[in-house]
Amino acid sequence: MRRFAICIFLVVAVIGLNSSCAEDQNFNQIEDISIVPTLATSIFYFESDEEFINDSSAGQFYTQLFTFEAFNQDFVADRILDGFISYQLENTTSKELEIQIEFLDENDNTLDSETFIIEPAPAPLLQRQIAYGDGGRSLDILKNTTNIRVSGQNLGDNNSISSLSEPKIILRSSAEFRLRLQ
Amino acid sequence: MNIWRIIVFNIFFGLIISNAQNKQVLYDFYEVPQALMLNPGMKTPYKWHTGIPLLSGTSVQAGTSGISVNDIFANDGIDITIKVREKAINGLNQNDDFGGSAQIELFNVGFRNGNRPSDYYSFGAYGEGFATVYWPRDLAVLAFEGNANNIGRRFNLDQLVSQGEAVSVFYFGLNRKLNNKWTVGARAKLYSSIFEFKSTNNDGYFVTTPGENNLLRNTLVADVTVKTSGIEGIYDVLDEDTITTQDDITALLLKRALLGGNLGLGFDVGFTHSLDPNTILTASLLDVGFVYHTGDIKNYTLKGAATNEGIEIILPDDFGNLNDEIWQELVDDIEAQIPYETNSQSYISSRPTKLYASFRRNFGEPKLRAQDCDCDTAPALKTDTFDYLNAYGAQFFAIHRPRGPQMALTAFYQRRLGSILAVKTTYTLDKYSLGNIGFGLNLQAGPVNFYIMADNLLGYRNVPNSRYASLQFGFNIISWNGN
Repeated sequence: MRRFAICIFLVVAVIGLNSSCAEDQNFNQIEDISIVPTLATSIFYFESDEEFINDSSAGQFYTQLFTFEAFNQDFVADRILDGFISYQLENTTSKELEIQIEFLDENDNTLDSETFIIEPAPAPLLQRQIAYGDGGRSLDILKNTTNIRVSGQNLGDNNSISSLSEPKIILRSSAEFRLRLQ
Repeated sequence: MNIWRIIVFNIFFGLIISNAQNKQVLYDFYEVPQALMLNPGMKTPYKWHTGIPLLSGTSVQAGTSGISVNDIFANDGIDITIKVREKAINGLNQNDDFGGSAQIELFNVGFRNGNRPSDYYSFGAYGEGFATVYWPRDLAVLAFEGNANNIGRRFNLDQLVSQGEAVSVFYFGLNRKLNNKWTVGARAKLYSSIFEFKSTNNDGYFVTTPGENNLLRNTLVADVTVKTSGIEGIYDVLDEDTITTQDDITALLLKRALLGGNLGLGFDVGFTHSLDPNTILTASLLDVGFVYHTGDIKNYTLKGAATNEGIEIILPDDFGNLNDEIWQELVDDIEAQIPYETNSQSYISSRPTKLYASFRRNFGEPKLRAQDCDCDTAPALKTDTFDYLNAYGAQFFAIHRPRGPQMALTAFYQRRLGSILAVKTTYTLDKYSLGNIGFGLNLQAGPVNFYIMADNLLGYRNVPNSRYASLQFGFNIISWNGN
């Protein structure tokens, strides 16, 4: 009886072990996994009230150069695929204004620029999307940008005041880009 | 990262994928001395026992909930990115985990007190390790999809939960039969931690919303801590990357295993109670204890809150106040608001306490010792040693985990086949499987005892599709009561 029980167990064990199986696996697939998130963030915000514009001498009322190294960081520059920068311009002043954004390399050479001319209030919201990468402007512009210069030009007079409450020129911007993490 | 660091990470990951720590087949399988480790108040039918060093008790367990290897790596022609998106990103939640545990007995000895036969002492040492990582669903979605299409969605940082350790345990236990109805036991434990990492009780979120001034606003609120002990020392040795690195790392781990690591104390308690000769209740509480981590500590913290809408130039307020470093100032501000810091503060880590309980009903007349056996190795049976021919019942298991107790319910059937074999089969319900069938075999050839137990046998139909597996085996030398 004892031997019989042992035999039964061994037979069951052998059958069990031999009948265990594994569906075909391909662990090399891990190399093919694609992780491409789309990341979005604001870039910069520019605002000036009409009084400041009027107080400035005619023509350019403001210019500011500042470092901007969001895109040339290795983590971003090595992974960025494509995307776009969105601009939104709102003018509630009484004058036509020009806002220019320049993307500069480390030697302050202009790599790219974007100029906005917006009519006096009541001007519609000016919105623009600039694509980079596939089908758009070169990604190298962004990868090599280390400085940005923002300039404001008054194309109107220096004394009128809009009847709107708190008249201002506002530039909003954001970036939305795809990055290949894997 | 050098090759050694990769190896250490692989060891961690190996543990992760190699969890539940439930040993339902072994529990109350009192023919096997290692079952005493699961209930110090177990019935002890031995005069003495000793495990064969390093071979007396080895167990490995691995479990994942919600996903299997086959789900991702089946060679089915489907793009792995699609499988990961469907099965992991969209299929798993923050309560799903990946975990593994392993245990190896270094030595295990037990003996009955000659002057007081109701007392059975046991002592020994074993090493064990476990690792658990809960699926950080929100962060996985953030990594896979990004924030652009998730405006307004909070990516919660409280889903970052992981814990793992390797520890050696030295113990001394006393098992006492109080009377025919009660057997109780207790065991004192001394822990020596080899390494530990722990990131629990995190809080915070990342969210992108429409901005107040600008188009978008990114907000990060973080209260994240990762505590480690023993890991920096290992990295330091590995970073040396010299010809003696392997010996150095072995010496370091051995020193820590032999009470040279961060120390802790704990205890186990348990009992067996016979309601009647064939109806038995048992319960045990294991690893009620702590390790006080004081040496080789490195804790990482990310605490604070920051909101960002990009660079802001507001005129006339900023006129003349701005310089060309406003980008760097913005970065510095954010880093100051959410500083990433390290410290070496000591901390106490509680052990993963486990609770077992069972109800058992015996039936059938236990066979007496084979009277006419003329074999050299006498079967290990005495009339008062084993109280069952058949037994069935139910067991309950719970373990304290970072996200609260994790439980399992088991039904079992156990039978003795002659005087040599005892088998036990179990059916367990837990978070890893609703069809976990386990099987254990105990073979007694004279004084030599061998046992082997495996879990989730149905999973062997397609191993990669199994979400849980465990294996335990060992050799012992046993002298039974009355021999």
